[in-house]
Amino acid sequence: MFIEFFYKLKDAGIPVSPTSFLTLQKAMARGLILSIPDFYTAARAILVKSERYFDLYDQVFAHYFEGAEMPDIEGLELDDIARALLDEWLKNPKELANALGVDESVLKNLSPDELIDYFKERLKDQTERHDGGNKWIGTGGTSPVGHSGRHPEGLRVGGSSGNKSAVKVAGERRYKDYSRSGPLTQAMMGEALKRLRNMVPAGPRDQINIDASIYQTMKNAGEIEIVFDRDLRDRLKVILAIDNGGWSMDPYVAVVQTLFDYARSQFKDLKTYFFHNTIYDTVWEDASRYRKPLRIDELARKDPDTRLILVGDASMAPYELTARDGSIYVHERSGLASIERLQFLADTFPHNAWLNPVSDRMWSYTRSIQAISRIFPMFELSIDGLEQAVTHLMAA
Amino acid sequence: MSKKDEEKNFQGGSRYILDDELAKIVNITMELEMPLLLKGEPGTGKTMLAHAIAESLRMPLIVLNVKSSMKLVEALYQYDTLTRLNDSRFGDSKRDVSRIEDYIKMGKIGQAFTADQRTVLLIDEIDKADTDFQDDMLDVLDQMEFDIIEVDKTIRAIHRPVIIITSNAKKDLSDPFLGRCNFHHIAFPDPKMMRRIIQVHFPNLSPDLMENAISAFYRLREIDTVEKKPATRELINWIRALQADPDFKEKQLAKGDVPYLGILFKKSQDYATAGNLTNRRKLF
Repeated sequence: MFIEFFYKLKDAGIPVSPTSFLTLQKAMARGLILSIPDFYTAARAILVKSERYFDLYDQVFAHYFEGAEMPDIEGLELDDIARALLDEWLKNPKELANALGVDESVLKNLSPDELIDYFKERLKDQTERHDGGNKWIGTGGTSPVGHSGRHPEGLRVGGSSGNKSAVKVAGERRYKDYSRSGPLTQAMMGEALKRLRNMVPAGPRDQINIDASIYQTMKNAGEIEIVFDRDLRDRLKVILAIDNGGWSMDPYVAVVQTLFDYARSQFKDLKTYFFHNTIYDTVWEDASRYRKPLRIDELARKDPDTRLILVGDASMAPYELTARDGSIYVHERSGLASIERLQFLADTFPHNAWLNPVSDRMWSYTRSIQAISRIFPMFELSIDGLEQAVTHLMAA
Repeated sequence: MSKKDEEKNFQGGSRYILDDELAKIVNITMELEMPLLLKGEPGTGKTMLAHAIAESLRMPLIVLNVKSSMKLVEALYQYDTLTRLNDSRFGDSKRDVSRIEDYIKMGKIGQAFTADQRTVLLIDEIDKADTDFQDDMLDVLDQMEFDIIEVDKTIRAIHRPVIIITSNAKKDLSDPFLGRCNFHHIAFPDPKMMRRIIQVHFPNLSPDLMENAISAFYRLREIDTVEKKPATRELINWIRALQADPDFKEKQLAKGDVPYLGILFKKSQDYATAGNLTNRRKLF
């Protein structure tokens, strides 16, 4: 029974196992499931093992039992953009009509649903992201729709920054957590960072080591000898360098803030520095990057065992990395290209990682991300990415 | 359903508000004799559920609080070598030193297996332990038996306990583990549900105070920068404090004045943040 439903769940991407499906059959055979609502609850409890898939399950369920339209997974991005277009339309019909090159009055006669369909049709012209082209939506191009383009009447579709396309912004919505706490909460981050520890015995010998005590006592033929150990303390040094400049980081401020707050309370020996886009000669101790500069050469004098964690979207113009005077700030030009500086840091602190709040599916689109990820192992600033980064940092 | 069945069904405890969905899941899980894994943020009543099941089905509750350094054998049984060594040296106890069984103590899982009636076994915060612990434990719970190697004896469960496992959703659990459990995620109660919960705890609370307290509570929960958001437990304690204070007036809450912030916010940073926000509101 319901084998098709099972496969629908599987196709939708929910990891359902045959064993749990058999369990569900068992529950039905025992007469525990007597109605559709029962089935809904029971099948979810038995088949779906993470709240992350609850939303998807709901959709499949509605489709299978109520004939609701399955959300077009492939078209999800299009759906979202189309909806964004609709929002724009509601705000300023004239601008959008002009941008699409159609008469406002034609669109006016369409219902919202028809409008969405119409937008989707237009959007299907583009199936991939394009940068700098003159096709539909992308960034920096000359197309009318999309954002930060050069088209005089270009209009923004979602997103809040230069090098982030509408496709990307729409894609990010998939990562939306269905619980209220958001995708990367402090607790989750804390759990991921907890393994970033280097426990070293310190302090007075005041911990009984039971195994050693028994062993020693046996060796003494029963003469009880109690063995004490030192406490384990965390001796890990961490340098956290955060890109807090420019609006390309703005969308990630919250998540970086969480990381920063947590790190500050978690690590005893933590130094935080700030930079904009990439590192040239200096990093700053103050977030405004003005009062307390620290030269990279001085930074390099710290213990090489220190874990260096850089946080930034690594998205910038390629020349900022490679040109000798690439900094967008005049006073920062020393003659060394930033990419050499980064390499120098990576060599100085072999335990390093770059956390990138940009979703890793989008990395290949930005050249500076690729360049930096060749120097620093790059991880996505998500729970999975953070765990991988910690594992990487703790590897000897 | 026959009357006998109804008695065995779980319908919520005297101080626990249960939604129908969760009730169904608990009942099906008990019938299928599978462990139930509950996830959800702190304060959504995961632990309370086990207490409520035990209370409503009149079964003893055995709680295994998982710690990060825990080994599986600790949860099963302990072989008290030190006591035995001590006894063999000084010989002043009634225990028989040559009988190792006398020095085996049952751990929490062992107690649940050897109890002479069906018990509710709550395994709290499983995500604290490492993956091996989780998988090995599920093996034991699957087989409903384990071996005591020291005496070469197999302990079989006399009654299959009702197993509730909670996780704070900090880490993902392994697939084989998940495969053997039923799963439910408890969302943080919405204000409507919260009103019912408060009603159960404070049957005589005036509607005005309840309304004001709950709306202030949800307002404070919305502060983004707070590290540990106040949960149901904090709200209940807070209302208790408000009731105990003779000077407290309901109007204060409506005005945005929040007394006893320390009950809601347990971290000094959070306390300061929340304090700033509520004070600022007062200025206007």
